[in-house]
Amino acid sequence: MTVIANALAVARREYMIRLRTRSYLVGTLVLVVAVMVIAFAPVIVKAIDRSSQQRIAVHVAATGLAMDPVTTLGVLMNASTDTGATTPVSKPGFIVSAVPDLMAARQAVGAGTFAAVLEIDRASNGDLGFTLYTTDPATGRTAGLIRQATTTIAVSDRLARLGIQPAAQAGLLVPAAFGVAWPDPTQTGMTHGTTEAIGRDLLSFGMTVLIFMMIILYGTWIAMSVVEEKSSRVMEVILNAATPFQLLTGKVLGVGAVALTQYGALLAAGVLALFLHGAVAGVVLGPDDSAGLPEGLTIPLLLLFGIYGVLGFLVYATLYAAAGSLVSRQEDVNAAVMPLTLISTAGYLIAVYASIGLLDIRSGWVAVLSQIPFVSPFMMLGRVTSGQVTVPEVLLSIAILVASIVGALWLAARIYRAGVLLYGQRPSVGAIFHLVRSPS
Amino acid sequence: MPLVIDALTKRFGTVQALDGVSFTVPDRGICGFLGANGAGKTTTMRVVLGFLRQDSGRATWNDRETGLWPRRTWGYMPEERGLYLRMPVVDQLVFYGSLYGMSRREARRAALDWLARFRIAEHADRTAESLSKGNQQKVQFIATVLHDPEVILMDEPFVGLDPINVALLRDAFLELRDRGKTLVLSTHQLDQAEELCDSVVIIDHGRIVTAGPTRDVKRSTGHQVVRVETSADGDLAWLRSLPHVTVTRPGRDYTEVRVDAGADPQAVLRAAIARGDDILRFEVADPSLEDVFVERVGELEIEERVLAATGAGS
Repeated sequence: MTVIANALAVARREYMIRLRTRSYLVGTLVLVVAVMVIAFAPVIVKAIDRSSQQRIAVHVAATGLAMDPVTTLGVLMNASTDTGATTPVSKPGFIVSAVPDLMAARQAVGAGTFAAVLEIDRASNGDLGFTLYTTDPATGRTAGLIRQATTTIAVSDRLARLGIQPAAQAGLLVPAAFGVAWPDPTQTGMTHGTTEAIGRDLLSFGMTVLIFMMIILYGTWIAMSVVEEKSSRVMEVILNAATPFQLLTGKVLGVGAVALTQYGALLAAGVLALFLHGAVAGVVLGPDDSAGLPEGLTIPLLLLFGIYGVLGFLVYATLYAAAGSLVSRQEDVNAAVMPLTLISTAGYLIAVYASIGLLDIRSGWVAVLSQIPFVSPFMMLGRVTSGQVTVPEVLLSIAILVASIVGALWLAARIYRAGVLLYGQRPSVGAIFHLVRSPS
Repeated sequence: MPLVIDALTKRFGTVQALDGVSFTVPDRGICGFLGANGAGKTTTMRVVLGFLRQDSGRATWNDRETGLWPRRTWGYMPEERGLYLRMPVVDQLVFYGSLYGMSRREARRAALDWLARFRIAEHADRTAESLSKGNQQKVQFIATVLHDPEVILMDEPFVGLDPINVALLRDAFLELRDRGKTLVLSTHQLDQAEELCDSVVIIDHGRIVTAGPTRDVKRSTGHQVVRVETSADGDLAWLRSLPHVTVTRPGRDYTEVRVDAGADPQAVLRAAIARGDDILRFEVADPSLEDVFVERVGELEIEERVLAATGAGS
């Protein structure tokens, strides 16, 4: 009983002290604000997009056009800003108007009244020619949209001259049906690169970043806290009351609780953002218009995020504490935790490369890596969201992770017990090995 | 029900820190544990408390291995003072107490009592780092005894304290002893030990040099000390010429000489009378603990010995 009581007493002290530090409070606040910003990013981006309107002038020198180029340009350009939606929006991004005087319009571009002037004339061979007068970059977004639109207008004009009337042209220009599917017939679901898949990949990517941050940030924190007790020599005082194992578990639990509190605050901010999202979008963008949330956020995914986050933290945190116990000065902490930082960074990078497609997430060795305890917390979420994993695989990796936490705790307790009374030089790898094996 | 240390050995690499250490600390008393830096004091204490495992030998209290007693049996004040510097004094005392199984309320009350007794109650809610060194040390002592341990081991409890605080601490030691506690304290200040300790243990290079009741240890050399003052003050030639007599302290008020074991101290008095001088003072006494220590171990070295430098402690 005293084992638990003492571990809880240590955890409690750690929690109360850490929670009150200014850097923690400020850091949490910054992260909460960041979550809010990310959650409302679609609304914010849209609002900014909407508030900026560009005026485009069109000077039509060509004759014999089958359609009104001014209206067509306006429809085409505003349609493309709205990701293919054909419904007219209440406040279009581009206002296209005809101008009779080209020179006056060009001067107006210089003065800023117009973003650009488009001149349409007809060459001797009958084709339409377009010239854009603008100070904006020629490869910019506006110029690009105008260029796309002019191609459509030119093709339409050619078809009209060939005798196909505009009403009949619509069917001609409709894109063909085109699908992408997995080569493996047993595999179903969306392939890479679709809008939904990208949304899900981003989600698992973000969660992996959060897990990685928690391990690196709070792992180092634990190591620092152990060294603080060594360098202030409190260690000997509390060692008389509690066993190294109690101190170790208490420290990991305490700092873990601090980390969970921070992530809880972030989660609360996220949930709040979800609830407020519709209302805020309605106020900012008007009642008809809504901006989408990140898709694919499901309860099972959140649950797996929680499980891998907590278990991944525990397996690393115990070893971070052991690494901290080997040194006696704050400036040596970074060197002591370096091996752990390297392993976690490597696992994290492999996971990131796999989720952005630099590595094939379906390959066998990625599947193997996602079972290895120090890597699986980073790898699994990406594989889950890309639909590459079966339930038994997930359960197996969790079981392996839990078993390795027990192993890490055993190893860490042995290192810690010998390390906490070790002052002076940093022990060599051989010496650490000896400490772990020694019976005391 | 004494604390028995029986043939402890402990080796750190090439250094034999403890080499068959045996002694007995009588129950309900204050025991001085004396030795130079690196002699093995801290290592012995750490073995008794179970921080280190001995290579061989036993440490028992009431006929039971020390490690088998509940943790709250033991109080330990390490030589290197350790407090959470940025934590309020009373909060950390409550934390220490709760580690020993006290309830938070119980620990708080005991902590405030002790703080008041040491006249630092007004610092209870200040962080440890804002306290003076002497006051930090008092907090350290409170952390040692807060949970009312039966056996209290202290490494150099008096270092860095002014005389007033030394007196406060000494009164606390005596009171704890009278309440039936066993105290073991290591110290460099041999005059302190002589005044305070019921028994002493002298250790050197991991071996016990001598151990026993303070008076017995003082008499263990067989020498006696004579303090003499005559009207012919300043002329010490006659003293130096006496057989079996060595002048140890040619002082201003009086001269102290050592009389070899077996020789008669009265010979000094007879020689003085024979010279015809007026005798203002003549005193026969046991050698001081410092005399015994110097004779048995040599001058106390201030420099750390090899052991301390290797990080193994003393």
